Amino acid sequence: MSAQPVMLPQGWEARWDGQSQAYYYVDQSSGQSQWELPTAPSYGSPDAQTPVTAPPASAAPTAASPAAAPRAGRRHYPTAQIQQQLYGGYDQAQQPGLQAPMQAGFPDQQGGQQQQQQPGGGGPVQYFTPAGMDGSLQQPGIQPPAGYAGQQGGVGPGPGAQFSQGQQPVDAMSNQFQQMNMGYKGPAQAGGAAAGGYEQKQLHPIHTVNLIGMQPDVGALDSPPPPYLIPPNAAVTQSPHVQPDPSYQRSTLATMPMTQSLLNKSKLPLALVMAPYRSFRESDGDMPVPVVEDSVIARCRRCRAYINPFVTFIEGGNRWKCCMCGLSNEVPQLFDWDQAAGKPADRWARKELNHSVVEFIAPTEYMVRPPQPPIYAFIIDVSQTAVQSGMVATAARTILENLDNLPNADKRTKIAIIAVSTSLHFFSLPPGSAEASMLVVPDLTDVFLPKPVDLLVNLNESRPAIESLLNRLSDMFQDSHIVGNALGSALQAAHQLIGKYGGKIIALTASLPTVGEGALKARDDPKLLGTSKESSLLNAASSFYKTFAIECSKQQVAVDMFLFSASYTDVATLSCLPRYTAGQTYLYPGFNASRSEDAIKFATEFGRVLSQPIGLEAVIRVRATRGIRMSAFHGNFFIRSTDLLALPVVPLDQNYVIELQLEDDLKSSTVVIQTAILHTTCYGERRIRVITQSMSTTDSIAELYASADQIAITSYLANKAVEKSMTSSLDDARSLVTNRLSEMLTVYKNQVTSSAGASAQLAVPDNLKLLPLLACGLVKHVGLREGASIPPDLRAYAQDLLTTLPTQSLVPYIHPRFYSLHNMPPEAGTIGEHGVILPPPMNLTSERLERHGLFLIEDGQNMFLWVGHEAVPRLVQDVFDLPAYADLTGGKFTLPQLDNPFSQRVNAIVAKTRELRRGVYRPHLYVVKSDAEPALRSWALSLLIEDRMDHMSSYAQYLTTVKNKVNGSS
Amino acid sequence: MGGEGWLFLFAVLMAAVLLFTMVFFIIMFSDLECDYINPIDLCNKLNQFVLPEMIAHAFLTLCFLLSGQWLAFLLNAPLVGYNVNKIMSKNHMYDATEIFRTLSGHKKESFIKLGFYLVSFFYYLYRMILALISESD
Repeated sequence: MSAQPVMLPQGWEARWDGQSQAYYYVDQSSGQSQWELPTAPSYGSPDAQTPVTAPPASAAPTAASPAAAPRAGRRHYPTAQIQQQLYGGYDQAQQPGLQAPMQAGFPDQQGGQQQQQQPGGGGPVQYFTPAGMDGSLQQPGIQPPAGYAGQQGGVGPGPGAQFSQGQQPVDAMSNQFQQMNMGYKGPAQAGGAAAGGYEQKQLHPIHTVNLIGMQPDVGALDSPPPPYLIPPNAAVTQSPHVQPDPSYQRSTLATMPMTQSLLNKSKLPLALVMAPYRSFRESDGDMPVPVVEDSVIARCRRCRAYINPFVTFIEGGNRWKCCMCGLSNEVPQLFDWDQAAGKPADRWARKELNHSVVEFIAPTEYMVRPPQPPIYAFIIDVSQTAVQSGMVATAARTILENLDNLPNADKRTKIAIIAVSTSLHFFSLPPGSAEASMLVVPDLTDVFLPKPVDLLVNLNESRPAIESLLNRLSDMFQDSHIVGNALGSALQAAHQLIGKYGGKIIALTASLPTVGEGALKARDDPKLLGTSKESSLLNAASSFYKTFAIECSKQQVAVDMFLFSASYTDVATLSCLPRYTAGQTYLYPGFNASRSEDAIKFATEFGRVLSQPIGLEAVIRVRATRGIRMSAFHGNFFIRSTDLLALPVVPLDQNYVIELQLEDDLKSSTVVIQTAILHTTCYGERRIRVITQSMSTTDSIAELYASADQIAITSYLANKAVEKSMTSSLDDARSLVTNRLSEMLTVYKNQVTSSAGASAQLAVPDNLKLLPLLACGLVKHVGLREGASIPPDLRAYAQDLLTTLPTQSLVPYIHPRFYSLHNMPPEAGTIGEHGVILPPPMNLTSERLERHGLFLIEDGQNMFLWVGHEAVPRLVQDVFDLPAYADLTGGKFTLPQLDNPFSQRVNAIVAKTRELRRGVYRPHLYVVKSDAEPALRSWALSLLIEDRMDHMSSYAQYLTTVKNKVNGSS
Repeated sequence: MGGEGWLFLFAVLMAAVLLFTMVFFIIMFSDLECDYINPIDLCNKLNQFVLPEMIAHAFLTLCFLLSGQWLAFLLNAPLVGYNVNKIMSKNHMYDATEIFRTLSGHKKESFIKLGFYLVSFFYYLYRMILALISESD
């Protein structure tokens, strides 16, 4: 969300009064001050811009110093009314004729005003613009603040720089307008319905809705989180990008409580949900992360915070005051100097002052050793099961095809390949030679490398040998009848091989490791399932994988696990390695490459993993305004010290959740939270990605509730529940989710809506209206669901995904999308303005399933095409190219591309769904017949979370349970 | 000096050693909180002392049992049971990957043990003096 500029009439300035925690407004021409938001301009000239509304009767300005007047906290942000005025005046404001005289008429005033303003003109947006500005740019909101002109004399080439600021592409402007509209929609809607008495000091409007008996509005799952409203002067520039996109970082609360006791009282969680190394997709309109090219990195001397849009410049711009600890720091000498052009540069155009997400190029002080090249060590299981399933052949082919896609910009990338069964097979790949030779090491207890060189080779130099090996790999082991897998020993060998440099080990295994180090037993006793002992199956069986993970993390080695077994593979234990080394686990249960769907899914996902532009040797640290402490961390990494997360390799699109605590009461009106991730890019450059976010503080519970972000809270609850299921039991994990939800709603009911006693209603704030649905989806999710029928492997894998998926993919994973295809609107499936148009999502209840219909259910990992048993032959013919419903078989399916419009639309929707979200996953498509294959059918039905399922309650029942808890405890 | 006196003299010395071990643990945990030590080194260091501490305590309890000091034995038995249970469920060692999540629990446990050893130290001292006085009578 962009900062909201305050739309004040000309000549007025908003000032913050720390004592009464409110803004007051100063008329700069007369020096008068008042508490009320000025609606009429103070100067007497005929004003063409703002339609003059009658000044409110109470607006008689109080000449007494507002600072002395004790007054209840009252903040003024632009209301719908002001918005209207501004937009009403906007047409006229665009006419240069009206602008020019105005500006000319008040040169003195403008000049005087500039002196009073903060450097950088964080002040209110003025309606006039510098002469010579292009008329079309004169839109409120992006106008460079008038304060610029005066300040720039000292720091840069005044008007020229303003142009660079002003001349943003037109679409950027319209974007900004959309954002502004979004920000304003809330107040406008809620104006009438807001809970009485709260609008006055409320940044976010609060709007209570009742959930009992209502169908949840699933379309609202995509709506943006409550905006981060900050006072207008908080940022030094007026850039719309001073707050990060929620996909980088979002907070469960968009305003920060001032004290820990307030937070405890509100029962709301306070946590950051972030995916700092998010992928960048141009098709989604993503902006690449701006890079600060010169290596001038201004950091606070005391708290080491990076300079950001929320600092203030003091002493004429020679020093800057840290927004976190308040220390005054010197501005680096080269800060205002354009090194490339060799001339003074405009400070206000610097990227770190205009963007919340920036990358700095780090000088050598930030390096422990020179940037390492990307290194990949493949461990391929070549036991009988692996070869027979076709995994070896598919993997070898995929690696071969992706040799060019591996990050290898500077031709330094190295790879090694180890094949493992009951012995280790190393491959010597000498540069220049076209042949690879195999070296077998049968000793598994004391792993050694058979050869000091040529095992880990440069991809470019040894390309012919690598290619010939990959071509022959599957054939080499074709006749192997060895059963057994020494994965642990192979991991140790790979670690010895690449430990010196760090890098990534990619282990592909199709059977449980049974020999050598880290051997595991099939411990999936079906009697344990559904009991309180089940959580022991979710914990690691052997400490080898944890200790080895620590070794790897120390040496900057990450491990990715690709697991293929048809039987139990102990995902819970093996996934420890990726968890603590910042890798990822991928599970392909019952993989068989002879089924083209399996082969395509694996090859696609593996290929995407290989071609990811990974970051190496990374550490993440979160800094925040004094008083805020990071108390717990969830995600795939190793916690190296109290607040330092070590990631040997940063994969794209991985989610981290960081819980916050307040150690001291917060005094200031805004707080700043900054995440810095120091990493080496795969192109050999050390970089720091910095994400800065600013939030207002509040002392009102109502405000906390109004600014709560249901998606971030869901992500937090998912992480807490998974943690609980490991330390305690799945039962406790489920009740944790339900209890946290009902605690929140109890506080809301008692403190915010102030209705005491039992009620037939379940009151929730509008912005949390989907939280009960998501919580219901979470307790019924495979990772946490009650029941004795879920294999522990699937559970452990689902839990991995719950803790690592970024919010964009996590929401559909918990609350799948459900479309009706047979009666979709005519435009659905055709190409619209933003790509393929999807049908409207439906509520997840089987009431919507019709006997003659065709439906699509997808959760980002799997897609189910549900065919009703009375489907007309025409539909079956059009979509599946089969004569009748009876000829259709359920299961994994590749949709044929047929020459009829309906088939094309369905194919377009399926294709769009597959590439909708960030991440490497390519969902399988299953055809589900409504009267056959009971297992598949009940799997698909289990995704319809609003329904009753076995003994899991339906959404309506879940709401009643929550309501009873809320009523019971009040 | 008779058997009882020697026994409690030994117990006093043991309690003092255990007391210092706990102080060492608590100092190390505080160091971790202040970033003076990384979790891997901490766990490697502390894990060397976990079993010796438990064995020393169990040995002392055994001595009380064999010499028929019932009160002293009963005082120590619950802690022995707790330790054995921890070893059986294999979570007696400090785990570097989990240490930050469980740190507050570990600290609390160390403080309680510290208090326990302190109380038993004075109890043993009292019993030793009692034994010496009764002998000299």
